[in-house]
Amino acid sequence: MHPSSKSISDRRASSPTDEASKRASAYLHPGQLFVSADSHAVTTILGSCVAVCLWDPVTRIGGINHFLLPTFSGAGIASPRFGNIAVKELLDQLAQLGGQKRNLLAKLFGGACVLEAFRQRQHHLGMQNIEVARELLQSESIPLVGHDVGGQRGRKLIFHTDDGAAWVKVL
Amino acid sequence: MTARKILLVDDSETILQMEQMILAKESYELLVARDGAEGLARALECNPDLILMDVVMPRMGGFEALRQLRGNQRTRTVPVVMVTTKAEAESIETGYASGCNDYIVKPIDSIELIAKVRDLLGD
Repeated sequence: MHPSSKSISDRRASSPTDEASKRASAYLHPGQLFVSADSHAVTTILGSCVAVCLWDPVTRIGGINHFLLPTFSGAGIASPRFGNIAVKELLDQLAQLGGQKRNLLAKLFGGACVLEAFRQRQHHLGMQNIEVARELLQSESIPLVGHDVGGQRGRKLIFHTDDGAAWVKVL
Repeated sequence: MTARKILLVDDSETILQMEQMILAKESYELLVARDGAEGLARALECNPDLILMDVVMPRMGGFEALRQLRGNQRTRTVPVVMVTTKAEAESIETGYASGCNDYIVKPIDSIELIAKVRDLLGD
């Protein structure tokens, strides 16, 4: 994975390969979340979707979600495919494992607009997903310490649940 | 106002019917193709505003069809959403590397499909 000259955030210069090999690996599908008290390297791929990464640096408990749509409005099934449900479930599951909310730190990834014609539009789906995540983190008073959001390309993300390290490869 | 055209490319009649049923609630003109080669031909013939493309199909798969769409001046910028059961990282990476604009993993969720279609059509 390579850092990008357009980086606005948390793209890391070194390869995750060596560090990831010390951890169990997991792949996160869209609409799901992953939480662990053990060291995991979680991979997910984001287009207009957004992933919120949370970890407690004291207990080294962490987790990540991957949501597709900003807000559950009552139609269909309330699932982590929606940002407001995905963030709440991530917080709940971290708390169940012993993560302390007062310690939590956050990183935010994704929300691309991959269509050139609509890039100037302020409220494309990716942007709505980013806004919801930011609002929810702010309302929970969780510091956002890293992000790589928006832009024109999909992303492959690897997140370490224990120390919050993250790598992004632009696709 | 002319209805916008969406080309549905899938070798499964069930999936095609499901997509048609979900999108019938919106005022789109829906076109159908049953493999990548037919999808490519229909795209050149009909100039769709958006394409929903399966990955694994006979004759020509979705990734190859996507590469050919992106290599043709007339279809280079048409938004393409891959709609597939292939949810593993390598497959999704290949999709983005081949030029797809978004990804939907089957089973299709109607709310997700409509939200992504509206977004890519600028609604």
